[in-house]
Amino acid sequence: MTDTTALERGIGAAPSRARRRRFQWRDPWGHPRGLALVTWIYILWSIVPVLLAIRFAFNSGRSRSAAQGWSLRWFWKDPNLSVFHDPTLSSALQQSLTLAFFAMLIATPLGVALALGLQRWRGPGSGTANVLTLLPLVTPELVFAVGLFLLFTTAFKVIGLGTTAQVIGHVTFSMSFVVVIVRGRLATIGGDLEEAAADLGAPPWDVVRRILVPLLLPAIAASLLIVFALSIDDFVVSQYLASGADTTTVPMRIYAQARAAPTPALNALATIMLTVTLLALGLAYLVFRLMTRGEGGGSAIGQLAGIEAGIDAGGSK
Amino acid sequence: MTPRWIWRVLAAPPLVWLALFFLVATYAIVSVGMGNVTTLFEPVPHWNPLDWNVGYLVQAIKDVLPGGTTWPVAVRTVAYVVVAMALSLVIGYPVAYYAARYAGRSRGIVLLLLVLPFWISYIMRMFAWTNLLATDGYASKALNGLGIDTLMNRLGVMDGNDWLGGQSVTVVLALVYGYLPFFILPLYASLDRLDHRLIEASRDLGASPFQSFWRTVLPLSKSGILAGMVLIALPMFGDYFTQDLMSGSPHTSMIGNTINGYVQGGSEKSLGAALTMLLSVFLLVFMLGYLRSMRAEQRQATT
Amino acid sequence: MSAGKGDIKLDGLVKRYGEVVAVNGIDLDVPGGEFFTMLGPSGCGKTTTLRLIAGFERPDEGEILLDGVDMSRTPPHRRNVNTVFQSYALFPHKTVEENVGFGLRYQKVSKADAARRVGEAMELVRLGGLGHRKPGQLSGGQQQRVALARALVLEPPVLLLDEPLGALDARLRIDLQVELKRIQETLEVTFIYVTHDQDEALTMSDRVAVMRNGNIEQCGPPQELYEEPSTAFVANFLGASNLVPVQAAADGAGGAQLTLGNFTLVAAECAGDLRGDALAMIRPERVRLEPHGTTGENRMPGMVEEVVYLGFHQDVRVRLATGALIRVDVPNDGDAIEYEQGNAVSVHLPPRYLRVLETDEPAPTDQPDAAPAEVS
Repeated sequence: MTDTTALERGIGAAPSRARRRRFQWRDPWGHPRGLALVTWIYILWSIVPVLLAIRFAFNSGRSRSAAQGWSLRWFWKDPNLSVFHDPTLSSALQQSLTLAFFAMLIATPLGVALALGLQRWRGPGSGTANVLTLLPLVTPELVFAVGLFLLFTTAFKVIGLGTTAQVIGHVTFSMSFVVVIVRGRLATIGGDLEEAAADLGAPPWDVVRRILVPLLLPAIAASLLIVFALSIDDFVVSQYLASGADTTTVPMRIYAQARAAPTPALNALATIMLTVTLLALGLAYLVFRLMTRGEGGGSAIGQLAGIEAGIDAGGSK
Repeated sequence: MTPRWIWRVLAAPPLVWLALFFLVATYAIVSVGMGNVTTLFEPVPHWNPLDWNVGYLVQAIKDVLPGGTTWPVAVRTVAYVVVAMALSLVIGYPVAYYAARYAGRSRGIVLLLLVLPFWISYIMRMFAWTNLLATDGYASKALNGLGIDTLMNRLGVMDGNDWLGGQSVTVVLALVYGYLPFFILPLYASLDRLDHRLIEASRDLGASPFQSFWRTVLPLSKSGILAGMVLIALPMFGDYFTQDLMSGSPHTSMIGNTINGYVQGGSEKSLGAALTMLLSVFLLVFMLGYLRSMRAEQRQATT
Repeated sequence: MSAGKGDIKLDGLVKRYGEVVAVNGIDLDVPGGEFFTMLGPSGCGKTTTLRLIAGFERPDEGEILLDGVDMSRTPPHRRNVNTVFQSYALFPHKTVEENVGFGLRYQKVSKADAARRVGEAMELVRLGGLGHRKPGQLSGGQQQRVALARALVLEPPVLLLDEPLGALDARLRIDLQVELKRIQETLEVTFIYVTHDQDEALTMSDRVAVMRNGNIEQCGPPQELYEEPSTAFVANFLGASNLVPVQAAADGAGGAQLTLGNFTLVAAECAGDLRGDALAMIRPERVRLEPHGTTGENRMPGMVEEVVYLGFHQDVRVRLATGALIRVDVPNDGDAIEYEQGNAVSVHLPPRYLRVLETDEPAPTDQPDAAPAEVS
């Protein structure tokens, strides 16, 4: 509605309308349109480039900077240059998935055990253990990667660089995320339930088995998938601990070819990786929503907050 | 009560893992930086502090001081990071504030869209811009069509009209683009926790909207701003890939590029390790501050 | 019920947290079948004492005997006592039935027996038909009943209740008080009940222990605590009371002479040998207001300073000539005189209602009604 229509509808309405508009920044009940505009421009700025990169993956032409029709040529149709048929691209995808799979399987149990231990362990050493758990979250990735690189080329030469070293690197930084997620969940569960179970006669291992593990399942499932996503997205650690062409991951391949890539096959590769990551995260979210459904709102929100805290803490990654 | 040893037994394996692959790895940097090299320039770490050789560290310190070879890079890095953080604050605060206070019914979707970049690989997000900023890219064409390149040239932050051709402005904006989500989320969290009744109370006590923002909201979100600043400062100082992807020119290289060149490049790993030590000590200040506030919050959450 | 009678005896129980002494050497004897309440402000050690009996905390010193057997070193899952938690601590991933049946798995009970006992326990707390719900789908009062059933189904000789009604609204609390008392009397189980709410303590308990700073201040039947508080703290925590600083001197006949400014008061009873600084204590409803000028024993002139109308009674505050302020509870029986601010009156403090107590450091609260809610 514009001022003209307001004027047409009634003389009395017009001045107040005009006044309200002029002093809008002062109106405590008004919607701050300036802020809304900044926010939505920012959101567009942050997401549209990625959407365009995905769009170019479906080009039928060779351009990576302009739309040229639609095709699945760069995914698998092209017999030589597509992700599926170019061995450098497909092996990168395979390496990324392998690393993510192993990182997920190792980091999650370690992180859960550490979270349980830290939550209950009081006394000498527990403070140090707490700091040690949080340190990887705030260590700049370059420092972390240089350290592991030098470690595997000197003292731990037996392991050496390569897939094993890459998995170890990914497990080391993602374990702390698992700890944050699981501790968030433990905090919402609270100590009362464990005491209640013991009070009703359950011996210690039964408390863990019948109470803690079932209640931690959503956090464990979420952790698995989040570690998977962290590992898939990682670049610096993968690059420093790689040993050659066969240990190149998707982000490394993109990094190596971004400025020189001849075809949108690279966009297709990036698109596949993004899809896998977002599927894992969507699944993580759904799983814990479903698994915490019967508990009433409070704990589901608490759990969400736990994951958000994990995201917060993940700034250095 | 569950016996206490159970918890220690559970915590032991992951702690041993962290000790080996985090603490020892960090110590490896020191050992190599304070070590020696073979005739083939392979580093020989000195694990025993008594054998430490300070040669590389002295060299690294000389390099980053005025007159040294790394000095211009160090200055440029600080300048880039400071400008990028300032821009992040200017863009990020309104966004976080809007999302926390005014998004209303669309809050869920706004939040989702703010979180999304987190989970898109950083490299992929930079890669997207290499598509757009190529000479025939959409963004290049639009920016040059609007005369932004001329404006940037006048401001002295751009040379020519190739946005990917070693431009400071591109690198700084890419840093902002890359790390802004990490600034917005902790800030959003702290603004969201802020009790809205406090704003109402300040209004009730006679503050204008601006005064109430300035005297109530801003001071109360200080910890969120600080957390966000630290969270983006740490990775920015260690960044080398943004520069590589968006410029690649030695005229825009950052300290991370120097370290990366030394360590991955080959013959100067020890000097690279020494430089990493210097960078770590510089960043330790930020890290410790952040760690303290995080632990304080954790304690609040668990008790 | 079970084999044991449910006698609980605490002997020199001490619990420290670092420098803080939470429980400071408590001795207590609770005979089987008693409804025993530990009452006190937050931080007085009542919850810690309960947790020591339950086994969630390890005592630093002392013994906890159940039917004569020390169980202070027995882990909680082997103790024959059960707890109703303030938070209820219902397992959110299990249905109501599974919650109630949780502990039966650890007793040698056949499946059929277990199902029957779960059903009985649910009937006892009037929860029939809700067995398949999850705790999250129940109201606060219903959750409270599940917590009760879950503990009672194990037929413990002693039931520990930690502020079980703390999270409920006032009306529901009164209903559940009556019901708890009914269940306790039916089952003849020892109840050890922790609360900071004096009404709860007075309504349900056979005996009450008022706790403060990790010690038991006074222990006895509710009536005794109310009528004959032995300390100013107890007098203040249970009900309202007037506490006036006086100079006391024994009169040789079991009573005391109290000097208050220029006036002398007589107290019919005076425990111990109190001399010098003391507190004269009298309940507001025992103070009489008489027309100005009335003279006689224990009568003092004063002026009405404030009248608070409370419906079924009025709270009249009278400033005595000595400067002390006396609260008087005047029942609203239809014939009572309406007092107004500024009225001169004569205040009668009957000797048999006047108690002499030791002076105390300032009591934690002037009005027990406003006692801070227990958080822990």
